[in-house]
Amino acid sequence: MAWRDGIKAFDAAIDAGMVWISSHGNEAFALLRGLLEGGFGAILWLLAELPFWALAGMVGALGWRLLGARFGAFATASLALCAALGLWTETIETLALVLSATTMAVLIGGGIGVFAGLSPRLAQVLDPVLDLIQTLPPYLYLLPAIAFLGYGPATAILATFIVAVPPTVKLTALGISRTPVEFLELGAASGASGWQVFAKIRLPFALASIMAGVNQSLMMAFGMVVIAGIVGSGGLGQTIYASVRTLDIARSVDAAIAIVVLTIVLDRLSQTAARPQGQQKEIRT
Amino acid sequence: MTQDPSEILIDCRDVWKVFGERAEDAIAAIRTHGAGKREVLRDFNCVVGVAEASFQIRKGEIFCIMGLSGSGKSTLVRLLNRLIEPSLGEISIRGRNISQMNRKDLRALRAHEIGMVFQSVALIPGRTVLDNAAFGLEVQGVARAERHRIALDALARVGLSDWANHLPKHLSGGMQQRVGLARAIASDPGIILMDEPFSALDPLIRRQLQDEFRQLTKSLGKSAVFITHDLDEAIRIGDRIAIMKDGMMIQIGTAEEIVLHPADAYVAEFVAGISRLHLVKAHSLMLPPGAYAGPVEKLARTAPEADVQALIDLVLAAPEQAVAIAEGETLLGVVTARTLLQGIRGEDADQKAQ
Repeated sequence: MAWRDGIKAFDAAIDAGMVWISSHGNEAFALLRGLLEGGFGAILWLLAELPFWALAGMVGALGWRLLGARFGAFATASLALCAALGLWTETIETLALVLSATTMAVLIGGGIGVFAGLSPRLAQVLDPVLDLIQTLPPYLYLLPAIAFLGYGPATAILATFIVAVPPTVKLTALGISRTPVEFLELGAASGASGWQVFAKIRLPFALASIMAGVNQSLMMAFGMVVIAGIVGSGGLGQTIYASVRTLDIARSVDAAIAIVVLTIVLDRLSQTAARPQGQQKEIRT
Repeated sequence: MTQDPSEILIDCRDVWKVFGERAEDAIAAIRTHGAGKREVLRDFNCVVGVAEASFQIRKGEIFCIMGLSGSGKSTLVRLLNRLIEPSLGEISIRGRNISQMNRKDLRALRAHEIGMVFQSVALIPGRTVLDNAAFGLEVQGVARAERHRIALDALARVGLSDWANHLPKHLSGGMQQRVGLARAIASDPGIILMDEPFSALDPLIRRQLQDEFRQLTKSLGKSAVFITHDLDEAIRIGDRIAIMKDGMMIQIGTAEEIVLHPADAYVAEFVAGISRLHLVKAHSLMLPPGAYAGPVEKLARTAPEADVQALIDLVLAAPEQAVAIAEGETLLGVVTARTLLQGIRGEDADQKAQ
């Protein structure tokens, strides 16, 4: 039948296209893969150098400082639980995956967001793209990533980055574009340059919104790294995937518990930074 | 009145601001056949924000622009530091045409010559009072210790040096507006633009700030353009007052001139409720010495600048119910109980003669 031939031709065209892209862009993909794995490797190395109790203690101390003693104790206990479950290596792998993808999302997405906040036309072009990224099932982003970057953490990080980047772009753009007009007037009337207005007025006002975006990106990244277990990301996601395949339900529940407590700890820590200026500790000079 | 031209800080000549998509066509029509506001709206669908504004502000003068909302007063004040570009006309600050300035010169002008205080105050919430007051200096690149020293000095002038390390949200509305004023004077500009700074404050604090502002501006020798919708405020603060309506300055003059000789019915309606007690002075009330029947030499004497309030006290104390007005030894005229009553009603000697 004609339409079957049509679909066959379509599939053939896609295959040919993929072959063409991977043969011509091979070096670029190798470079991208090297960069992603290099960043991931560096963060993982840092985390792996520390014994689990040192990292748990540091996160606990940070939590104590930002949110009080109770949360500090909770954070330390959470990380200790991950270690007690025998999943410490997987936990820090997951942490390294999330941190590298989120760092990329914040740097790239924050940069794009700033320009989108300053240019309504760019924002108009970006909005439907970001909406589309958020509408499609995140699982889908593993397909192009694995086609170009192969099995391993690089694919996981790229797919996680795609899923994590929209909130940072959107909320950065929103924060930057919503500077109260009287403050822009203050900047202009004080003789401030464009850069000064950005750094001294727009950015401080946008900070709470940007941090809310970072927090959301972090949460999206946590969701995605579990899914990315399927492409050999390593970490807790892969543990869950492997345990489910062998019907080792108990182990997959252990890994799920580790994911949940890790997510809660990082969510609370990054949310603190997203609080409006007025609620934070007073700045002293 | 002839004045040394070097004393003129702001010189506006026939300034227009037209808003709308066809503003250029509208301006062409204004230029070629002198189209008015109504024609511009009808033919070009453009709104005239400011029309035919011509005025000069001298060094040390406080110039109040009074108008209701939509009268164009906020647009006009923003034309003076080019936050809004004029459509037509020339604005000179210290003899330099600001429309021809490049961005660098304009920034320098705003940083050093013209301070601005906003109705919304616009204190940056995450900065301390001191860092807010130092904002203008920070933008100019003044070193931290130096700008803090200057800003602290400016805060001391508005009585807030104890609050330097607090955040703006800890301050009342009146105190916040004082910080706004300190921020404006910290850069030591010759001109301060005040865009309805006290409108949001309660009446008591407002009057207090009005007096403080006038005192401070005079003691520093600054010129100020003060926007307000409140005629009482304009009279309290301004050396001269301009009344704006629909983008036009319909009258410019001292408070006494405006109250005694309103240019039209609109101004007359505004000044109707204004108390004359401190506004009307003896020199505009007095009768010529010859018009007084009794012996002028026996009357108590006072200066021509004495206001109605002071004259009432003098006339009540005098058995003749009259007081002589003299400048030094020269007798200028006589104020009687009758002329005082007319003065409170808002008539002066010229009108009585009619």
